[in-house]
This record gives sequence, structure tokens and C-alpha cells, in this order.
Amino acid sequence: MHIPDGYLSPETCGTLGAAMVPVWTVAARRVRKVVKSRYVPLLAVGAAYCFLIMMFNIPIPDGTTAHAAGAVLVAVLLGPEAAVIAVSVALAIQALFFGDGGVLAFGANAFNMAFVMPLTGYAVYRLVSRGTSLTSRRRALAAGLGGYVGLNAAALCAAIEFGLQPTLFHRADGTPLYAPFHLSHTIPAMMLAHLLVAGVIEAVLTAGVVSYLQRANVPLLRINHKAVAESDDDLPPPTRLRWRWAVVGLGVMALLTPLGLIAPGTAFGEDAPQDLDLRKYHLDAVPEGLRRYAGFWHHTLFDGYGFRNDANPTVGYLVSAFVGIAVIVLAIAAFFGLRRLVRRVSSA
Amino acid sequence: MTATTATPAWLLQPELGLCPCGCIGKRRKGSFVEKTIGGGAALMRQALFSDDTASAHGLLQRVEPRVKLATVFGLLIAAALVRHVPVLLAMYAATLMLAVASGLSLSFFVKRVWLFIPIFTGIVVLPATFSFITPGHVVVPLGTWFGHHVGLTSQGLTAAALIVTRVAVSISLVVLLTLTTPWNRLLGALRALFVPRMFVLVLGMAYRYLFHLLTTVTDMYTARKARTVGTDVDVTSGRRFVAASAGALFGKSHALAEEVHMAMVSRGYTGEVRTLEPARVGPRDVLWAVACVAAAFVALGGDRALGR
Repeated sequence: MHIPDGYLSPETCGTLGAAMVPVWTVAARRVRKVVKSRYVPLLAVGAAYCFLIMMFNIPIPDGTTAHAAGAVLVAVLLGPEAAVIAVSVALAIQALFFGDGGVLAFGANAFNMAFVMPLTGYAVYRLVSRGTSLTSRRRALAAGLGGYVGLNAAALCAAIEFGLQPTLFHRADGTPLYAPFHLSHTIPAMMLAHLLVAGVIEAVLTAGVVSYLQRANVPLLRINHKAVAESDDDLPPPTRLRWRWAVVGLGVMALLTPLGLIAPGTAFGEDAPQDLDLRKYHLDAVPEGLRRYAGFWHHTLFDGYGFRNDANPTVGYLVSAFVGIAVIVLAIAAFFGLRRLVRRVSSA
Repeated sequence: MTATTATPAWLLQPELGLCPCGCIGKRRKGSFVEKTIGGGAALMRQALFSDDTASAHGLLQRVEPRVKLATVFGLLIAAALVRHVPVLLAMYAATLMLAVASGLSLSFFVKRVWLFIPIFTGIVVLPATFSFITPGHVVVPLGTWFGHHVGLTSQGLTAAALIVTRVAVSISLVVLLTLTTPWNRLLGALRALFVPRMFVLVLGMAYRYLFHLLTTVTDMYTARKARTVGTDVDVTSGRRFVAASAGALFGKSHALAEEVHMAMVSRGYTGEVRTLEPARVGPRDVLWAVACVAAAFVALGGDRALGR
């Protein structure tokens, strides 16, 4: 995924490089605050480690090998801020000394692999590993999933960067000046390869290293997980999610019902198939079932979410929403009331 | 470094026994162990070779690193802005001349630049020459498809030629810079591109410890190869070994970082960062910079003269 010079326009490289400056500044400041004067050797050796991770050949079933990018692994081991700097430095060494990835495109490469990849991967890892102990199996799987998602997010960014080039930069006669493929080609091509193969390899390596450290060297996992319980026995009892949160969510959705008033057209042509503009999709037929059952049942209280003959459509819509909510609440209350009654009778 | 201390030629040769393409004996796929060892050796070879060429006496070796880095960066931008293939070809010819003037073997330089990335780029952009992807004026008709004339378009062919030559020119410029500048001088020169001192220090230490840790990796894999009878075919155990070696390497890296930190503190490190400051800029460097700026303007002016 190292983008060489010449694939992207200097404008794209400049924009992405400028976007990385605040990221580097914030990351450097945070790392310095956490590890004090130790940050220079830690980041330097971290960067060397990152570089070498990309050199590990991983066997894949057909007898060939592939390599991982390792950014999410470093984020899990050293923290996301340190990963941003370490991966950037590794990319700089590759670009300057070994010609892997462009010098002008360094900003773009850093954006994809040193910013998007470790941060999205680490977010997924945090989300999935929440509430688990340091040595739990789910934590290793979370790291693998983080690696998978992080690598694919980086690949998607690279695909978008490539795909925008012919649209934004071309000669008057339409000759693309940089990467010639459009978004409709780059996204499927990049994502297919990364979703099916590269992402899986990244996941295998990330999960494998975390699970090895869980077995062999737990203190190393402590570097970035200071307060996490070591084993499942040390975990505090899990806090139960209160059912009230469900009510809050439903309440927000109920408050949003007026949004339906500003939506144009009907929902999927459910009661007026002729409203479906199928020509737009080069289709010229309404499914037989849809045609037959569209006008099948009209004997309802609020036909089409309104009063009869569409008098006062706004009030009708809101009243039908309130009545709908009230009926559902009553039905649920009736169910729980009945259950309580049955329990009381059976225990008595 | 004088000629007597240059790396001997046999050390820069790829090791026959490790060659996965099987140039001697039967053709077979190299296992992941051999590939990793081979990759490490190639990395080392590349670094050693750059050290040798950087200490030769050529045109580019005499230019002050800061000036060289800034001018190469400027030329890279010029190459990225050029919109016509002939201008890019002229720039490529100029890089070839610079390589010869800097005492680099031309065949080596061409091979180093073209092998892999520009050739790979050529294969990748091949589909873009067809009218399916780049619509335009069909110059090589290949028949009709549902009533549309399909074939290679002039726009597609120009786009493919543009990207391949642009990639070749860009890589040539970077390779010229890398091969004619000692790595520590190149790092010091990064200050000319407004890279913060802290990053320069981290970059330099990372480069230094990269080779130290690479030795560790090579040792682990050589030990694995020594313990293996026959070929390493089991994918699952192979993956477990890769994960374990990457985990063990992390442990060693972390211990190394701690030791380095203690060594730095015991030598008076207080958190203030110092880097090697590059040498003075002489008249020769000014001349070189002026020549580069002029070359960039000639390239961009010629490009403008050829049309937008």
C-alpha cells in the first residue's frame, strides 16, 4: 500500500501532508507527556520494530507468503499516539533510504498507514476488548479484528485518493495526469484484495502476537494497559445495562418522528406503485405481487398515516404517530402485566 | 571511507543458496523463513552499497546535503507538475547523466530504478489504455462491443506513458539522493525541510537500531532454518512461529529502548535534542542550486509551451 511518487498529484500530497502536521504535533506532545525523557529511544526503537514487522514474511496456504503492515499491533502495544509517530518514522526511512513509497507522497502514505490505520484499528480494538482482562481470549481476537478493520480503512483511503485523481486532474482532452482509474474501479480493486487476503493476514499477525504475549510475556502488554485486570478472576463484577437506556433511545426516536414530514415521495411505493420511478434504474415493470397487494387493505383507522381524504396531513401524521406509539406501549404493558399476574397466581 | 575499506564485492552478491527463484538446481518456492532471511540480507546489502557509493568522488557527492535534499525535493515537485511525456523523458535523460557524473554504474542505476515499481506501474495501468476506462479518441480499434467502438485510446496511452515516466523520474531522483549521500548527513539535511529536531533524532536512532534488531530477526530465522529438516510447509505452525518471533522481537526492542535510555541519561541526556549540523554552503552548492532551479523552470516552461 506504499504509494510511490507520480501516482498522486502534488496538490493531493500537499493537502494530506498538511493534514498530518497537527496529528504529528498532538501525538508527539502526548507521548512526551506520558513517557517523559524516555520518549526518544522508545519511539526510535518502536519505529525500527515497525519497519521490521513489515519484513516478516507470513506463510499463506498456497505456499506463497505475504507481509503485514503492523500499525495496529504497535498501537495496541505502545498506544495510538506512539504508533502514529513510530509508523511515520518507519515510512520515512523506507521512503528516504530504501525507495519504498514516495518522498512527495510521504504525507499521503503517513495519512493512510500512520494515522487512519492505527487509530481506526485501535478504536475497534478498544470497543471489542472492553471489560475483558489482559489475558482473555477476546482481547487477542479484538486486536485481530482491529488489525483487519484498520488495514481496510487505510486501503479505502488509498483507493479514494487514487480514484479522485482522474476526476480532479486531467488535460483538456480528458487525458488523466496521474493515476488513471476512477473511484468505481479503485475501490472494488483495492477493497477486494484487502478484505479477502491482506486484511486476514494483518488480523492473523496482530492477534497472534497479542496472544503470544498473553502466554509468554504479560508485562509487555502492561506498557499500554496500566489499569486492566490481569485475569478474568480479578475483573470487577460487570455492571448491568439498565433497561431505562432502551427507553431513552426509543424516546429520541419518537421525538424524531416529524422528520418523516420533510421526506419527499412515498416509502418504496408501498401503496402507490406508480410512484416508483423505475425508469431511472432502466426497469420497466412493477412486480406482480406489489401491483396486486398495493390496494389490498384500506380499512384502517389512519390510512396512509393521516385522516380520511388527507385532511390536515401534518396533524394526521403526528396523531397517527402518537396513537401508534401509545398502542405499542399499551401492548407491551399488557404483556408484562399479564406475565406478572400469571407468576403471582402460579406462586400462590 | 577510502577504496580499501569499501565493502568487498562478494558481500554484495545475493547468496546463491538463499535465492528463492532457484537459479541453481530445481525451481521451487522459497519458504517464509528463507524469504525473511533473504529480505534482511537484501536490506543490509542495499545499505552497505549506499554507503560505498556515497563515499565515492562524483558530482552529486560534492554537493552539500541540505542543498541537495532541497533541490531534489524541488525537482520532484517539478516532475509532478509536468504534463507532457517528452519533458519527463528529457528529465529522465538528465538523471541518467547525473548518475554517470556521480560515478554510478549506469546498468545498475537503470536496474535499481526500473525493477519493480515502474514495471509494476506499467502492468497496473495497462487496463486504463482501453476505451472502457479512459474514453476518448480510439487509435487502435479492437472491434465493437454492443454497438460501441472499443480499442486503445490516445488519452489512455498518454496517461499510461505519463504515469510510468513520472514514476521513473521520481524514483531516479530519490535513488540519486540516497546513493550519493551518507545516511547521517542526509538526516541532518532534513532540518532544511523544516523537519523538527526531535523527529530527526528519532529517525536517526531508528535507522541505527533497525540494523541491530535486524540481526536479531536474522538470528531467530537462521536458528529456525537450522532446526528444520526438509521444507517448512505447515502453514499453522509457520504462523505461530512468525507471531512468536514478532512478539519476542517486541520484548527485545523494549528492553533495548530501556537500555538506550539509561545509557543516554548516564551520558548527560536531559531531554534536549541535538543533531549533526550539516557543513557550510559553498559557491559550488549555490551553483548547483541555481542550476536545479533553472532546470525546473526550463522543464515547466517547456511543458507550458507544449500546451495545457
